[in-house]
Amino acid sequence: MEFITDLLLIFVASVLVNNFVLSRFLGICPFLGVSKQVETAFSMGMATTFVMALTAMSAYLIQNFILEPLNLIFLQYVAFILVIASLVQLVEMFVKKASPVLYKALGIFLPLITTNCAILGLALLIPMKGYGFIQSTIFGIGAGVGFTLAIVLMAGIRETLQFADVPEAVKGVPIALIIAGLMAMAFMGFSGLIPM
Amino acid sequence: MSHGRDFVNGLWNENPVFRLVLGMCPTLAVTNAGINGLAMGLATSFVLIFSEIIISLAKKIIPSKVRIPSYIIVIATFVTIADYVLKAFFPDIAEVLGLFIPLIVVNCLILGRSEAFASKQPVSNSIMDAFGMGLGFTWALTFLGIIREVIGMGTFFGLSIPFFTTWWKPWTIMVLPAGAFLTLGILLALMNHLTREK
Amino acid sequence: MKETPRLIIVLTAIAIISGLVLAFTYNVTIEKIQQNAELKKQQAIAEVLPGLESYELQQKGDLKYYQGYDANGLPIGVAVEANGGGFQGEIKMMIGFNTAEKKINSIMVLSHTETPGLGARITEDGFKSNYNNKPFGDYTVVKRPVNNDLEVEAIAGATISSAAVTTIVENTLKDLQTAFGGEL
Repeated sequence: MEFITDLLLIFVASVLVNNFVLSRFLGICPFLGVSKQVETAFSMGMATTFVMALTAMSAYLIQNFILEPLNLIFLQYVAFILVIASLVQLVEMFVKKASPVLYKALGIFLPLITTNCAILGLALLIPMKGYGFIQSTIFGIGAGVGFTLAIVLMAGIRETLQFADVPEAVKGVPIALIIAGLMAMAFMGFSGLIPM
Repeated sequence: MSHGRDFVNGLWNENPVFRLVLGMCPTLAVTNAGINGLAMGLATSFVLIFSEIIISLAKKIIPSKVRIPSYIIVIATFVTIADYVLKAFFPDIAEVLGLFIPLIVVNCLILGRSEAFASKQPVSNSIMDAFGMGLGFTWALTFLGIIREVIGMGTFFGLSIPFFTTWWKPWTIMVLPAGAFLTLGILLALMNHLTREK
Repeated sequence: MKETPRLIIVLTAIAIISGLVLAFTYNVTIEKIQQNAELKKQQAIAEVLPGLESYELQQKGDLKYYQGYDANGLPIGVAVEANGGGFQGEIKMMIGFNTAEKKINSIMVLSHTETPGLGARITEDGFKSNYNNKPFGDYTVVKRPVNNDLEVEAIAGATISSAAVTTIVENTLKDLQTAFGGEL
């Protein structure tokens, strides 16, 4: 029971308290770039969550069964980024074959995910946190859900914003950043929610 | 294109932060103080300069089909070197920048310049481009860091400012995540406004 | 298909060069990195155990601790590295215990991610001195000046951070008492 509570805490903490986008500053590029429409933002979030869950598992396995036993810690960054790039490629090929419909929805986002720093950030955080395999997986899913939440909320606000009279100079990225700032303030309310 | 123009390009016209809006994660995350912005900018410049040199030199050897993985390995290698050197000789800075040193690997600025510039241009031009972009990134981060530090903590590079520090009531929000988003958003808007007037 | 071997050769060559360069960098810098960590630990232990001349890592039960000695080689107390959850992330501390007088010497915050200007003030002497020469026991965090030895005055606006530090201190104290059996 304690184990399940622990997992739940990790999940909620990674979604709300230490939201990857709004309090860790990870994944800002897609957060600003792919947040113009709720629908596409949601697809991007889902694709990212999927890759994050896989990345979390691989990062745990690579760290504990390859890098540490062989004393190759100095190859950590190279190994992680290559695995993420291959993973994204693999997911792309698999989705293309298995479900053309899904591929149509996610396809264009998949290559972008490789350079999403939230993914590499997640991979690097896992050895630091000292999580086990299941905890790592939950952490990965939580991080993905947190990312999806942030990007969908942002897209929702930006959709509505189209009808607002925004000054010319503030249009586009500046207003998105200011909205993100206000969202970050709102998310600060979650700090201290969970003893970490 | 002349070397001079390649260099100046990154400083203003195509400034990576204010113009190209690349490398947002470190720009927002580590700029809570002037010194951190400066250190992050220099670390990124180091990786950028050496990656562009190697990639420009090796552009004929690397087949175009595997160029992206090759670039990623080159970049990740230099990032690891920067990380170990910082940890060994500047442990305090390494601790503050923490996770964002390894994340230079996925800074779109570096992969972007490698792909768009170094893989097509001669070495000398690539070096100038890397220096210009690196310096442009560094000043932008330092500038942001200074603004946030002065308003958020009332200090300048960790030093107290005569008359100001004692009188100013720090806006803590500025050194928190929300402050990063707001400061950059307002700066970008200001930039847009000023350049549109001309 | 003639292209494929070339792709493999180039990628492998790049990977091997990268590996060699990194192995070299690692070997050159690792000693200095470990020295830095060691030095930081030494300073922290010296800070929480005044009069420290030497120390050694010991273990009782599950608890690892640093037994400190003065210039004459006499034990002066133990330092324990502890961590726990704060307001936004992990707080790491070094806590010095005076085992002879059953008191806490002092604490030092090694790393934290608390809010700058509020929770981050746990690193300031004004708050840390709360724990100086505190007798062993259960502590209460209060939002006013303390009335007795077992109270800790919270930082204004950062009660959760203050309570987090206190919890870490209490837990470490309990671990220490368990490890030392009836001695403490």
